Amino acid sequence: MSVREEHGLVRYSLFDRILHWFVALTFIYLMLSGLALGYPRMAWLYDVLGGGSTVESVHPWVGAGFTIGVVLMLVSWAKSMRFNDIDRQWTRGLGSYTKSGHVDLDVDKYNAGQKGYFWFAIVTGVVLLLTGIPLWFPSLVTGGWAQVFRLLHHVFFLLSVGGFIIHVYTSTVMFPGTMTAMTTGSVSRRWAAWHHPRWFRDEEAKGA
Amino acid sequence: MATELGLAIKRRSASPASSTDIRTEAIEVSKLVDIDLCIGCKACEVACKEWNDLPVDETENFGSYQSHKDLTAATWDLMRFNEVELDGGDLAWLIRKDSCMHCAEPGCLLACPAPGAIVQYENGIVDFDQQNCIGCQYCVAGCPFDIPRFDPESKKVYKCTLCVDRVSNGLEPACVKACPTGSIRFGTKEEMLIYGEEKVAKLRGRGFDDALLYDPQGVGGLHMMYVVPRGGMLDEYGLPEDPTVKAASFFPVMSGLRKLGSLSMWAGIVGTAIFFLRSGRHPVPDEDEAVAAAQARAGSEGAEAGGREQAK
Repeated sequence: MSVREEHGLVRYSLFDRILHWFVALTFIYLMLSGLALGYPRMAWLYDVLGGGSTVESVHPWVGAGFTIGVVLMLVSWAKSMRFNDIDRQWTRGLGSYTKSGHVDLDVDKYNAGQKGYFWFAIVTGVVLLLTGIPLWFPSLVTGGWAQVFRLLHHVFFLLSVGGFIIHVYTSTVMFPGTMTAMTTGSVSRRWAAWHHPRWFRDEEAKGA
Repeated sequence: MATELGLAIKRRSASPASSTDIRTEAIEVSKLVDIDLCIGCKACEVACKEWNDLPVDETENFGSYQSHKDLTAATWDLMRFNEVELDGGDLAWLIRKDSCMHCAEPGCLLACPAPGAIVQYENGIVDFDQQNCIGCQYCVAGCPFDIPRFDPESKKVYKCTLCVDRVSNGLEPACVKACPTGSIRFGTKEEMLIYGEEKVAKLRGRGFDDALLYDPQGVGGLHMMYVVPRGGMLDEYGLPEDPTVKAASFFPVMSGLRKLGSLSMWAGIVGTAIFFLRSGRHPVPDEDEAVAAAQARAGSEGAEAGGREQAK
């Protein structure tokens, strides 16, 4: 009998996990190829990724795939990402959360930080799409507008990478036991009870 | 025409800025088109095609002397013809050889994200290296003269090279060589400025009061200048009045943003590492404690007040 069946609570379906890793991988590709396109000192990444022409032609298509992933995430997860009173309290306790890794609140499936990152990723994703389209089809814009879109694309690239670093750090190094949610799809009872007590009780009640 | 010049590179696109040049007197070259002498024969177009081994673009009769409607990836030099009615009822037939101006501040090069796809030589020539071009067309957007042309098949951008291969071997560009009237001239930028100013003075003496030497400083000056007899009709010639590098302020902002970007990325990584050293990991307490805490929340007021009811 597997650990999952014995102790685990299912947190993400197979669909959720495939969606997450699809968005993650496309994001990583876009970030690396974007670094090459935006930073002369990182131009060696062109070679790693198959050469400048390849990067130039693949980057927008991967961006389109990323966008589809982001839209699917929005459709399937937005409902559980609405902010409530607990989230407001959580946000006030952010200082102690980052220090001790715990806030004594009856958190449901997501805390305000997770919800915040979700919406941050959606917004940056949408802006990156909108500013990326005129770079993909240069004939859509004339004159200095191309440069304006490049600048905006770059600003939101930096923001999204910042969010990405925090996301990876919190879900791997900072909070042990989190990663299995996106690998096996389940988390331990103690992880669920400690970080998401309300969600834990509801899931246990379902199972009983 | 002692303008045999080596190919010392002044600037290279998308490459970390570094001045490696200790020369104090780099000689700049320039073409100059004396529009007064041009007879519109298109020999320069043919010479350009021949020297650069460019395929033929089919010509089209659209009621003009002009061979093609526009520059293409394979047509780097085009005589533009424009008939304009003057105030007195006279007709002016404006003819201009259109090709890359080889700006001192090349908008194409500044916009290019592919290392070495565009280079600017010390002698002023701005050249595309298709081997390094990634086909993004940012140069097309960056050019104030609408010169570079994208070829969808090879996914590369092309334009006049100012016959850099000839110039570096002490020859004049092919169009200059072919010009039967001496309208297209070639020499050092200094020589061409002197010629141009003298010619403008002569034209003014002949009654062309607004004759001018076209060498706009908004792009740092050109390495293909024009003597324009009817200087008041730049628009009709298809020459922008005061061209500047498009969205020029974008480039310093962009380079500042890059610095900020790399700084904040390193700060993010170092900051995260320091954060880890300070706070470490936050493992969950053992199962009994965690579950007990969660169950204890069940009846508490906080649980009732918070969350799902409002969120629904």
